[in-house]
Amino acid sequence: MRRMRLRALIALATIAVAPMPAHAHLVETGFGGFYDGIAHLAITPADLLVVIALALFAGQRGTRTARMVVFALPLAWWLGGLIGARWSVVTTLPLLTTLSFALAGVLVALNMRVREIGVAIFAVIAGLLHGVVNGATLAPGGASGLALAGVVSAIFFLTAVLSAEVTALPAGWPGIAVRVAGSWIAATGLLMLGWLAKMAR
Amino acid sequence: MKIWLRGVLLTILLLLTQGVVAHEMSMAEMELRQISPTEFLWRWTASGNRPAGEVLKPLWPAGCRTEQALLRCGADGLRGTLAIKGMGQGYSAAMIKVYWLDGQARVYTLASGRPKVHLSGSSADDTPQGAWSYLYLGIEHILLGVDHLLFVLGLLLIVQNRWMLVKTVTAFTVAHSITLAVATLGIAHVATAPLNASIALSILFLGPEIVRRWRGESSFTIRHPWVVAFAFGLLHGFGFASGLAQLGLPENQIPLALLLFNVGVEIGQLGFVLGILLLERAFRLLEFHWPKFIERLPGYLVGTLGAFWTIQRVFILLRGAA
Repeated sequence: MRRMRLRALIALATIAVAPMPAHAHLVETGFGGFYDGIAHLAITPADLLVVIALALFAGQRGTRTARMVVFALPLAWWLGGLIGARWSVVTTLPLLTTLSFALAGVLVALNMRVREIGVAIFAVIAGLLHGVVNGATLAPGGASGLALAGVVSAIFFLTAVLSAEVTALPAGWPGIAVRVAGSWIAATGLLMLGWLAKMAR
Repeated sequence: MKIWLRGVLLTILLLLTQGVVAHEMSMAEMELRQISPTEFLWRWTASGNRPAGEVLKPLWPAGCRTEQALLRCGADGLRGTLAIKGMGQGYSAAMIKVYWLDGQARVYTLASGRPKVHLSGSSADDTPQGAWSYLYLGIEHILLGVDHLLFVLGLLLIVQNRWMLVKTVTAFTVAHSITLAVATLGIAHVATAPLNASIALSILFLGPEIVRRWRGESSFTIRHPWVVAFAFGLLHGFGFASGLAQLGLPENQIPLALLLFNVGVEIGQLGFVLGILLLERAFRLLEFHWPKFIERLPGYLVGTLGAFWTIQRVFILLRGAA
């Protein structure tokens, strides 16, 4: 049993430190780079789920925290995107990106009491991480800066709207519904982690 | 607001205008003429600013291969999926005209939303493939038509309550639908240069009205924004029609294509309005206290871009007249 656990741990660690080659997958909406960027966020589960989870979590923590995350997340994402595009590491970091949204989902599900600065730091780290991967994957595919602007604008919009709606929820079952949504995101993350471990073997 | 801050703001807005150009749609046209049961002559017959052959690459049905202008297909003939690679990069759509040996012709429209078409190998294919592409083209036209969206944004900054918002958006929709149909069906025509200048003027017109609204003043536009939306909506409808005219309509499906194009425009427009309203509600719920100049940025954007386009388009108009 202990040996199996050790093997799984080694497999996961391998994925974390051995990044996979990036496959540029910017969807072509035909409406130009900006809208391609928006569509990219919509069809990239790891990116979309981390944004949704962080927006829900920020909303759970109140308006002050939400106000910080609304700017911290897209700005960090944008910065990460520039870094990824400039120093193209040409990697995806599936374990880290999966862990980030799974962890955000767990925080939502537990409605964890984290100080606002803690939430903001988590948002910045997640934004930088996903942004770097975005930049590294999109730039070799010929995506323009407009695509990154589209991604970041969509993140700003989604974070602002979702977190605001959560702060305005009445007490009772709507809050539980938010926690359930967080648990689904966490469960998706766990499934993905299991899949990654299987792939690494 | 401090003078230096106004200067910085104005500079930023003027720089922004450099990158914002009115959207033009272009459609490539391909002709496929059958010369034997398995052979076709093919060529691009119409292109935009860049030759279609440089940007677009046909992906022929399986079994078909080209030898310069000759397309040879197997025993099945021209049957299978035809796609065009490179759509959305300079070309919004491609119209494929197939002339069969029996004298029949079929027209197919490929767009980013419908990047491939299924060919049945004969002229007996009656599926109305072309018209549905116009739904996507309508959405594309409004989403890339920054001038139309800016006018709608200007209206949103003026309206004071939900009922007035419904009336204003409906009036704009009804008005541009009327002129879109009238112009597309050839009942009326407005020259492009003065039309574009007038559309720019409609955006500029909203700038001072937004300022009046900030100051708590009243005007006819602030009291009845739906009237202004209707009047200028008629102009914007002619603008949509000019976009549609560049694309052309499938002759046997004009009403359906027109309807779908208009529905596409409405989907894009309502999506934009909904997005702005959701964002405004989010900022209110999160109790954002913006600095005055940030709060007024959308208004300045409407006024500055409206002024820039008006000057630019009037200049083009006068240069054309000279």
